[in-house]
Amino acid sequence: MITQEKIDSFIAKIPPSPKALRETIVALNAGELPKAARAAEQDRALSSYLKHLVNKPIYGFTREVEEISQIFGILGVARSQQAVYSYMLTLLSPDKWQLFKLNKNTFHDLQAELAVSWNKILKHLNINDKEIESAISLLPASIIVSEALFNEKIQDITLLRTTHDIDLNTILKRLCNMDLFDICERIAQKWEMDDKIAKIIQSASGIKPSEDEQINTLGKWMHLLLFFTLSKPQYIEAGLNDFIDFQIDFVADIYEEFATVMEIA
Amino acid sequence: MRATVKDGLGVFHPQGFLDGVSGTAFLSIEDIEATLKLNVDMVLVSLKKVIFFNRNGLDPFIKLFQKVRSNNHLIVGFCDYDHKKYDTIMKFYKDELMFSLFKTHEIAALFTTSFKNKSKNLLIYSDDKSQRAAMAIELHDAGHNPIVAQTKKEFEEKAKNKELYDLIIEDTFLGQMGQKVATRVTGNAIIYTVSSFLDAEIGNTFNIAYHNNSLNVGFRLFIFDAYKVVSMNVHALNFFSKLASSAAEYNATICFVGMTFEKTPLTFKETLEDSGIMFFDQMDDILGDKELLKELGASSAAAIKNKRVLNKKIVTETSNFIEATVATIEMMTNSKAIKEAVKMNQIEIKEREDKIASSIGFYGDIDGMVILVFPQGIAKTACELLIGEKTDDQELILDTLAELVNIVGGKVKTLLSDEGISVDITLPRTYPNIESLFDVAEGKKGIQVDLKFNDDKFLFFLTR
Repeated sequence: MITQEKIDSFIAKIPPSPKALRETIVALNAGELPKAARAAEQDRALSSYLKHLVNKPIYGFTREVEEISQIFGILGVARSQQAVYSYMLTLLSPDKWQLFKLNKNTFHDLQAELAVSWNKILKHLNINDKEIESAISLLPASIIVSEALFNEKIQDITLLRTTHDIDLNTILKRLCNMDLFDICERIAQKWEMDDKIAKIIQSASGIKPSEDEQINTLGKWMHLLLFFTLSKPQYIEAGLNDFIDFQIDFVADIYEEFATVMEIA
Repeated sequence: MRATVKDGLGVFHPQGFLDGVSGTAFLSIEDIEATLKLNVDMVLVSLKKVIFFNRNGLDPFIKLFQKVRSNNHLIVGFCDYDHKKYDTIMKFYKDELMFSLFKTHEIAALFTTSFKNKSKNLLIYSDDKSQRAAMAIELHDAGHNPIVAQTKKEFEEKAKNKELYDLIIEDTFLGQMGQKVATRVTGNAIIYTVSSFLDAEIGNTFNIAYHNNSLNVGFRLFIFDAYKVVSMNVHALNFFSKLASSAAEYNATICFVGMTFEKTPLTFKETLEDSGIMFFDQMDDILGDKELLKELGASSAAAIKNKRVLNKKIVTETSNFIEATVATIEMMTNSKAIKEAVKMNQIEIKEREDKIASSIGFYGDIDGMVILVFPQGIAKTACELLIGEKTDDQELILDTLAELVNIVGGKVKTLLSDEGISVDITLPRTYPNIESLFDVAEGKKGIQVDLKFNDDKFLFFLTR
């Protein structure tokens, strides 16, 4: 059985830990891009990750970007922060995924696709808030934690699912009293993110709507974006599509607008 | 992706966006084959949680449907959609619609051979006249009371009185329907469905290994749903006579329901009755009569001629069986098991109060049966995880227990296959008390392991 302590111990493993990384985050939080770039350059893994990330086709840069200061300059504070959070996650991501059929590449793609689309949505909604921009990195983070938790009981869970139709999120909830979105909330606290981020994430579950209209709207967009992304073949095959229950009625009123923003034919 | 299986329906639930790229990733032929093994009447894809689809997204499903329909003669199609989605699919496929469309999966269930849904009052409308007729015939055949509205106006008028109908059927389309010998369990009776012409082919289509193992596990009542049988020839007559005499060895009963003898010689009926087969007009005559059901289904310490003993191969594998059982129940109850005693003899239960039991058979490279005896407390805790809430409903606990034993069976299957031993498992059977278990298991020799979970005693028994 998975206990509360075990979940906390997994979440406790989530960085920040290395000094250079911490300095980068502090500088980014203060909005000091050049200082952040100098700190990031000291961590070779981080700088190599950033170069690899922004040169993915989804970011759409025509020429290869190599300098960290250049990267932070192009991305701006909020997106740089988001990119560094994504890097923190890769430190935690398992070498070999077992329950979800992911690997380093597909996981990076998932991070990048969610981040780029989320930024597009926030731009469309005229929201300029670096915390809200970073909120999207919590979802991949909690996927990592869930993978680690499930790995403890992988055979039982696989069997349970072959005989009974329960989505993984429900199993998670029943086994450890926390679902994917609760884990996100716990990570948000660990990363000392604003309270509203946890509320957006909870609202994005589609089953715990917020009374605050703006938070609820962001929750809807995040829920729909999650399923838009998880409907891509590599994530369906990875077993992520049926991780959580899609609340189609929750997002019905924003679908048309979403389809326009995402250019769905 | 896995299907949910209930009432003879195997339903897949893709979520999100279905386009040319994602459509192929949701469902594979292996997924469908796994579902077919569960003896379903229909394979459907639910569109309830699909927010967007285009023709390229549906095409991969249609290709798979075609394969299933031609190989297995099952009903295939989509369900759980709104009017807009129905219209879109109709536009996409127009004249090439070979699959079925059911507005909800509840409507689809009415068309299966499941008799749980019998005698429903149904209002039907389709703008296609032959569809209206086809639906009415199928639903009538399945034991319902269909009322057909001939015009849209009439339908709207009638539909105003919602309380008159159990279900209102619109936006539904029947593609070609399939038929097969299906298996279904109601209570502790197994129901097989037979249809059209019964001839020598029944020897191939009827799953005799499954049937024999069901007998061995303790099922005692087998009902052939023969409403749709047109006629029977002498080969089928011989087949059923033999089946009846082998059932007699186990004190089991075979019944035919709904069989008419308009095109079959009446002497066949006499021959079958002589061999012990009972005939009923309506399924309700058996399933609705709890006393009769109990009498037919309960086995009186059957005089099984060939008492089977454990062999070395099974004994060697005992640890696998115990490991699978203990691990599953530990996970379900969050408690640790302590092995108290292992003995090889007849099953022995000291405290019989407040115990329920379940058994599951396995057959293939090795065969036998696992019996698990649970104190009510453990059963309830274990069921909580599957149901998600506390319950005192005995029937629900027994059903869930059956599912739990099914998980154990699945686990044993996996563990054995790791060692190159291939087995299939039967459906689980449940026993509400120890007396009913002893009707089947008394006198059988086997390996008994007494286990302790917290303060509860739990018993594992492996026999043949």
